[in-house]
Amino acid sequence: MHTIWSRINNISALLSSCMMGLFAAIALSSLAQQFFQAPLDPSSVSITSLKVAPGKGKQSKVDHALVQFELDANLTPLFNWNTKQLFVYLDAEYTNSKGVKNSVVIWDRIVRSKSSAKFHVEARQKYAFRDVTGFRDSAATYTLRYNLMPHVGALVYGVAGSTNNSIPFPPLAKNNV
Amino acid sequence: MFSEELKAFRRLGFRHVLLQALNFASVIASGLMIWKGLGLLTNSESPIVVVLSGSMEPAFYRGDLLFLTNPASERYHNGDITVYKIPGADIPIVHRVLETHDVKSRGSSVPNQRLLTKGDNNEVNDIELYRGLSYLERKHIVGKVRGFLPYIGYVTIAMNDFPQLKYALLGGLGLLALIQRE
Repeated sequence: MHTIWSRINNISALLSSCMMGLFAAIALSSLAQQFFQAPLDPSSVSITSLKVAPGKGKQSKVDHALVQFELDANLTPLFNWNTKQLFVYLDAEYTNSKGVKNSVVIWDRIVRSKSSAKFHVEARQKYAFRDVTGFRDSAATYTLRYNLMPHVGALVYGVAGSTNNSIPFPPLAKNNV
Repeated sequence: MFSEELKAFRRLGFRHVLLQALNFASVIASGLMIWKGLGLLTNSESPIVVVLSGSMEPAFYRGDLLFLTNPASERYHNGDITVYKIPGADIPIVHRVLETHDVKSRGSSVPNQRLLTKGDNNEVNDIELYRGLSYLERKHIVGKVRGFLPYIGYVTIAMNDFPQLKYALLGGLGLLALIQRE
């Protein structure tokens, strides 16, 4: 009854249930905090330059969009006791002439601390933005989204801001090669 | 050395051994039932996975435990973290969705989605990992990550990396089960 094994067993069982209880409390309390807090100030997203160019070589039939943008965001309210990091990404959504709904991430950033959660970015895209059928006659909306990743618990997604209307793609630039 | 135990074993007799075996079987059976039940609820072939690589750092580290769901009617969005398995590859991969393309499919209201993924810690997208496919389809996806527990799954990684540990643990447990009288 009171052997060393049963003592070890009891202590480890108690320890693991306490840990689980603590984890659950942290996860639930941070979810509740996010639910009750005031909504985020919308971030400003603006596209400063947008060009469409034909691809080079093998990809000559594929249209490439070249985007430059400006972001102004303050995501500090998203940081609480259970925030490990924010994954912030700029999402371009459009429907092309073939009726295919597309959504492409053109830029992303990992925010790991509250002090870097307020940022102003002027940059060009990080990832290729291309369409096999071409961008003509379509327009994209650019939305800044975030994924809040907790130390423990559920992943939360949200929108930080967007270009309020869709921005039409310009006609294909002449191939100046 | 084991004379005491052997004596006890004789005293308790055959019925006791059968009872132990039955207990053991019921533990295994209920474990399997919980696993498969979770699989049915979440529509995912493995609703809980352990992170095996560092390609999603600093979001997920090796040994983190992920909880997945995969509702048949739900679309995937950019930024979702998916677990996918390419036919022919034996290890499922946990990566984030970078592009989605909803191609209208005939006779079905749910569009056929084509996805492209990338690991947060990788420089380039996953095309190289797709073994010749140019995008992922819904059928390759095991689930979407919903929740997460840090490092709990490290035990399984340790057991894979050091097989001695696994045998020691299994042997120890087996010995304890045989010896214990209560």
